[in-house]
Amino acid sequence: MSKTKKYTADGKKAQPHSLSSVLFTVFLWAYAIFSLYPLLWMIMYSFKDNTEIFQTNPFGLPKVWRFENYVNAWNQYDVPLYFKNSVVVGAGTVILTIICAMMFTFAVTRLNWKGREGARTLISTGQFIPVQAILLPVVQTVSAMGIMGTYWSLILPYAAINLAFSCMVYYGFFKGIPKEMEEAACIDGANIWQTFFLIIMPLVGPATMTIAIYVFLSAWNEFLLANVLVGTTAHMKTLPLGVLFFQGQFTTDWGSMGATMVIASLPAILVYCLFSEQVEGAMTTSGAVKG
Amino acid sequence: MKKYLSNKKAIVVFVLPAVILFLTFIFIPILQVFYYSFFKWDGVNQATFIGLDNYIRLIGKDPTFKIANANGFKFGLVITVYQLVLATIFAIAVSDKRIRFRKFFRTAYFIPVVLSVTVVCQLWGNVFNADNGLLNTLMKTLGIEWSQNWLNDRNTAIYTVAFVNAWQWMGYQFALIVAGIKSIGEDFYEAAEIDGATALKAHWFITLPLLKDTFNFCLLISVTGGIKAFAEIDIMTGGGPGNATNTLTYIMYNHAFGRQNFGYGLTSASVLVMECLVIILVLNWLFKDRETPLFARKKGVDLV
Repeated sequence: MSKTKKYTADGKKAQPHSLSSVLFTVFLWAYAIFSLYPLLWMIMYSFKDNTEIFQTNPFGLPKVWRFENYVNAWNQYDVPLYFKNSVVVGAGTVILTIICAMMFTFAVTRLNWKGREGARTLISTGQFIPVQAILLPVVQTVSAMGIMGTYWSLILPYAAINLAFSCMVYYGFFKGIPKEMEEAACIDGANIWQTFFLIIMPLVGPATMTIAIYVFLSAWNEFLLANVLVGTTAHMKTLPLGVLFFQGQFTTDWGSMGATMVIASLPAILVYCLFSEQVEGAMTTSGAVKG
Repeated sequence: MKKYLSNKKAIVVFVLPAVILFLTFIFIPILQVFYYSFFKWDGVNQATFIGLDNYIRLIGKDPTFKIANANGFKFGLVITVYQLVLATIFAIAVSDKRIRFRKFFRTAYFIPVVLSVTVVCQLWGNVFNADNGLLNTLMKTLGIEWSQNWLNDRNTAIYTVAFVNAWQWMGYQFALIVAGIKSIGEDFYEAAEIDGATALKAHWFITLPLLKDTFNFCLLISVTGGIKAFAEIDIMTGGGPGNATNTLTYIMYNHAFGRQNFGYGLTSASVLVMECLVIILVLNWLFKDRETPLFARKKGVDLV
């Protein structure tokens, strides 16, 4: 049951067809179109040629559906490479973040040691540090480590950035698991490692899922660090950089450019459509603590 | 059992990876930002300590510093007003079970958030392009003489890029507020109804005050978002025309990578961090629980 069930959104008592409620509905639809149209426009122009995009038909559905734009983007330009890079970096970041965050939060919430509160506070300060500010030292660190031009140059910083958020999501989950779990495992003769991998890890599955989706999306779309870390390394570019690179190089072939943007966006949109609850949930948890 | 949970070796193995990762890529870098802001440093060779010289030069003498701060303010103002107002209205609307197609609206409003900033900038870049952009073409088609050089005009460029950011991230604040509304108990609204309050009044006196923490956070991200603005500017205007869309992050980026002046760039970064910190403190102070809160409650709707 809604909290506002007796009212329409504009404040009048139930009069479904009053002028203001009609206007309000129109407004909701208008902004929905405003929010979606650029995306639809991109999809439409990924099927058009330059004449249609710029002269004959800039706004509507393509007259001829040119699927060859996708074939061109995939075969003639480096889209498969960018795609692979994005997948490797995204997957690597998710795995590393989850391993580190899960082990850390387990130790902080379930094991007895001095300084665990301090360690937790330390990691959580990461929430307040803007990526923009640490851009230069991170570049210096990555190049000092000699991993420039490898996948690690992106995976390690990305995992570090997502750590604070992931630990926070896990923290709530780990706190909710009854102490009896470890006691039972201990009595049954499981060692601490078995307890962690066989008992605790499956129990925090839903949190892992939320974190995986959130971290994947943020790595998939990341631009700031990727730009300074691999922006000039052709074979390491991820899709967000590929989209930009396209603009500089192939301004003559707008259809293929559109196709590349669709290819870059589709995985993220699919993830959102399939897991919209988790995506919104994850984003709002990150908000709950930052504030 | 106690011994079992105090396994030293296990604790070290569990804790170290996260701590090392965090120290290496977040904590030490932020310390370096402040440390090297006191040095003249090209990023490669030995750094020379010069005390506050970088700060004096940046704050006192660099004309771009003023522009950058003004732009941070304008950018922040645009995204704060745009996002907060629309997100609040839409969140209240989709939380109302009487509105139809709520699931569709939720998706439509949120979807720009999951796009990459480069894709979003390309899209809006095509819309705002002066020669053959969608917007000017639309004006021409409709026969309206109102073509603008959206991204190349000194006066409008910063607002145009700020709008692009506002458009993309409105859905994020929307989701935050939707989650906030969900957590408000039904009985508040029932009480308001019994007292004869209209829905508009109920939202004004119940929803808004109870979402204080959510609004605090929304303001925090959009106001600091203005100071941190970078991606849209880098992609769409490159700080130009002239210096018209320069920001603190862009000063940092330009001096470090364009002029090998890392120390100076990091000074700009440290100012950025301090400004963000001040904003967090000010907002937390403004939103602190007081005898008479900012969103003053009126008698009649007795809430808390």
